[in-house]
Amino acid sequence: MTTSPTRIQVNPSVPGDGRPDYIRIQDYGFWYGAKKALDAITLDIPERQVTAFIGPSGCGKSTLLRNLNRMNDLIDAVRHEGDITVGGRSIYDPTVEVISLRRRVGMVFQKSNPFPKSIYENVVYSLRVAGVSDRDILDETCESSLRRAALWDEVKDRLQDSALGLSGGQMQRLCIARAIANQPEILLMDEPCSALDPIATGKIEELIHHLKAQFTIVIVTHSMQQAARVSDRTAFFYLGKLVEADRTEKIFMNPAQSQTEAYISGRFG
Amino acid sequence: MDTKETSGIRRHEVNPRTLAIDRWMARLINVGGVGVIAAVLGMLVFLVAQVVPLFRGAELEELPSAQLPAGVAALVVDEYGELPCAVMPDGELRFHRLDGSLAKSWRPDLPGRSVTAVRAYPRDGIVLMGLDDGSVAEVKVGHRSRFEAAGARVVEADPALASVLPIVPGAALESVHHVRGPAGRVVLVRHASPAGARLVAVKVAERRALGGKVRSTPSAPAAVGAGLAGVVGEVLMANGERILAVLADGQAVVFADADGSYPEVQRFRPFPDSPGARPTSLGLVLGDVTVVLGSDQGHEEAWSLYPQRQADGSEVRAFGRIHVNEALGGRADGFAPSPVNKCYVASSRGSLEIRHMTTGTVRWSGPPVESFLAGFLSKNHDQMGVLESSGRLRRWKVDDHHPDGGWRAFFAPIWYEGGTGPEHAWQSSSGNDEFEPKLSLIPLIYGTLKGTLYAMVFALPVALLAAVYVSQFLRPELKRVIKPTMEIMASLPSVVLGFLAGLWLAPLVDGHLVALLLAVLALPTTALVFGTAWSRLPLAARRRIPPGWEFAALVPLLAVSVGAAWLAAPSVEAALFSVRDPGTGQMVADFREWWRLATGMSYDARNSVVVGFVMGFAVIPVIFTIAEDALSNVPPALTSGSLALGASRWQTVWRVVVPTAMAGIFSAVMIGFGRAVGETMIVVMATGNTPVMELNPFSGMRTLSANIAVELPEAPVGHTHYRALFLGACCLFLMTFVLNTAAEVLRQRLRERYKVV
Repeated sequence: MTTSPTRIQVNPSVPGDGRPDYIRIQDYGFWYGAKKALDAITLDIPERQVTAFIGPSGCGKSTLLRNLNRMNDLIDAVRHEGDITVGGRSIYDPTVEVISLRRRVGMVFQKSNPFPKSIYENVVYSLRVAGVSDRDILDETCESSLRRAALWDEVKDRLQDSALGLSGGQMQRLCIARAIANQPEILLMDEPCSALDPIATGKIEELIHHLKAQFTIVIVTHSMQQAARVSDRTAFFYLGKLVEADRTEKIFMNPAQSQTEAYISGRFG
Repeated sequence: MDTKETSGIRRHEVNPRTLAIDRWMARLINVGGVGVIAAVLGMLVFLVAQVVPLFRGAELEELPSAQLPAGVAALVVDEYGELPCAVMPDGELRFHRLDGSLAKSWRPDLPGRSVTAVRAYPRDGIVLMGLDDGSVAEVKVGHRSRFEAAGARVVEADPALASVLPIVPGAALESVHHVRGPAGRVVLVRHASPAGARLVAVKVAERRALGGKVRSTPSAPAAVGAGLAGVVGEVLMANGERILAVLADGQAVVFADADGSYPEVQRFRPFPDSPGARPTSLGLVLGDVTVVLGSDQGHEEAWSLYPQRQADGSEVRAFGRIHVNEALGGRADGFAPSPVNKCYVASSRGSLEIRHMTTGTVRWSGPPVESFLAGFLSKNHDQMGVLESSGRLRRWKVDDHHPDGGWRAFFAPIWYEGGTGPEHAWQSSSGNDEFEPKLSLIPLIYGTLKGTLYAMVFALPVALLAAVYVSQFLRPELKRVIKPTMEIMASLPSVVLGFLAGLWLAPLVDGHLVALLLAVLALPTTALVFGTAWSRLPLAARRRIPPGWEFAALVPLLAVSVGAAWLAAPSVEAALFSVRDPGTGQMVADFREWWRLATGMSYDARNSVVVGFVMGFAVIPVIFTIAEDALSNVPPALTSGSLALGASRWQTVWRVVVPTAMAGIFSAVMIGFGRAVGETMIVVMATGNTPVMELNPFSGMRTLSANIAVELPEAPVGHTHYRALFLGACCLFLMTFVLNTAAEVLRQRLRERYKVV
């Protein structure tokens, strides 16, 4: 494992750098065993915006997303080079507990994965594991998280029912409510709508739109339309490399790279 | 083959052979499936068929009556009930055939003396006769049976006068008794005297001289109950040379031999619960230590000689009430014991019954006989007869194969003869013939559960924690080695484990018990201390060891802690478990002695700790494998979801993985439990097989399965013992069946609750 300097220089020319919800990726490479999945990625993800990662399957966008809260640590024989900083501090800093990193960088998965517990217990899970047992705090957090996830009105009468009785779209919003309950700064979304119907997708997209006022959101998506609809910035990956990253309008209207243009217009991918 | 030509490309139809094979295989599979179900049901039917006869009562069928002369004094019947011998008051023995005809008549040759009292001992084929000169004559009835060439059975009688002994010279005897012991016999007579009836006992020492002649030497006569103003009513002689007399007021008095005299040792009132009741029938059941008394109001009680603690702390054998039986149909008026078991005929004004003394059950009940003069149960327990005063001998064919069976015999606490209270006991065989088997299954069920308990206490934490560790924390490359290793462990034959337990582990544990107990304490403590210390270490230090390799740091520590326990054991034993050696007066460090003294419980080398350890060893791989599978099958999406929310690995395991896998873990536990309940070889070889009922970890046990394995080869097919073993098998089956069903219901509910999308 390559260990990078604990603290990297905050770049004063970038306005948000150093804020706790600002992500900076520098010369980042990543291997699954002998296979190189990411190659020298350098990218800034500014705060309180939606950044979309797009690209064909296997281009490394999900890998990069999962590295932002070190979920890939669970996999065997991985290694990295370069560095990722969140709030100016390396996520690989040996004094940083991976648990506390994940409490600041929440995640929503491609397939909704509610725990086989009640809706209530799902939402307050992150508080429970943090040792909160005050009923008032839990109740309040549950309600506010569900409201922010636009699910409160649909489930307020059956909070103690199993979360597994919800519809697919509701489950995914429950997972979002669960991820934001502990007030992270950054929310990672790994193709959150790929298993949902258009109506549920619409609701999630609307939700993302509201949530970006509070969170830095990184979303991986296969749908160009979705990227265009929800994101402020878009990064296009191809074969483990970052091809181009810029404001979304720029990427979709006037990409700098011909590969981006080819992908956007559906000529490959 | 059917093919069609379509635009130049051939379409291949299904081969008829494929269809035929498909049909045949489907049938074969059906036959197999139905066969399995039939086999299981068949076994069940077999088991039940073996057991059901134990719970049947006796069935009787009346045979034609035989006419004997009226005024018979006593009755002696041969083994087959074909040549009853009526003992007349004047000493004549009249052998009648069943059609009423006289086969033989015989009188003892007693010139110048006449018979004044007779008493028959049908079991021994002996009639005692009291004479008018104060002598007692012993007559052998001499029933014999032989088989003729054609196979027909002929019963004959060859009566003979065995001895004539003077007891109270000159007195006309009113009644005679005797009881035979190893050194001779005690003869008891009653005769009239100016002060009223008098009881006199004479001990007769018998020595077999050369040539087989028995030489009898009577001792000096001793008055029984001297000072008692005349003994009225019935007199009995029990074993242990006790004489029990019922007085006119209904009290019973007991006299015991004390070097030639017979002082009164006990006086009790039968039927203490109903003060008005008086005994109207009494008799000793087989074994001569228990007297069954029937009252004029139909009560029935059994009083037996057993050691009773006195006020001064000493123990004295005295009569005590051991059973209060179901009431008879009316005034009790007759009693006849069986010569082969604890059954007896109890006659009353309301009913004629066969009862079993030990279990206190009514085997059969029928309408009363006209009057009860004498009765018998045959030596094969296949015939019953009652002689009415008119001389009519009523006879029944008895079909009662398991007189000592019934629910009470197997499941209720029973007060056995000689015991000091009702108890559950399993003691199926012994050296002598009068021994009564004790067949309570409760100690065996208890032993089964005890063995299972100790095995599970050891196996559950180890197996479940190992499953959690291996599935959630261990490196995958190590997991690939450890899982198959555990599965190999599961395939170790239990006879090998039992052998190791009995011959290697038990002596080892016996010698190093304190070290073992210390190690049991030290291992988890070390692990916990290590865990705490580890979590306090700075992150940088912890990073040195990659996740999943933490055990590499722990294992040497564990080895050290076991070594320390081993070394510290002698000094700990000396400090905490020293006892004074009664022989030398020195203090000795010996945990086993200390345990006996401190807890009052026993210590055996083949004990529950050894069994728990080895049976646990047999159960661990079963539980581990299934639980590990269940834990590994929890979708990784749930684990990632929990970790992404900032839960630690342990929180993830405890709050998400374990609840989700609960149904699987539960079935793992239940399967392990089932394995422990049914485990046979280990318990046979390592428990000592003592059917004790105590939770003491340092005593053994006898389980249902071990009991079957040990005793079935010795049990005669069809006998009560044999069927009782099958009853044990049924209990075992029922236990696992109920357990598995409950477990399955619970598992389904858990699965419903924690089902994953």
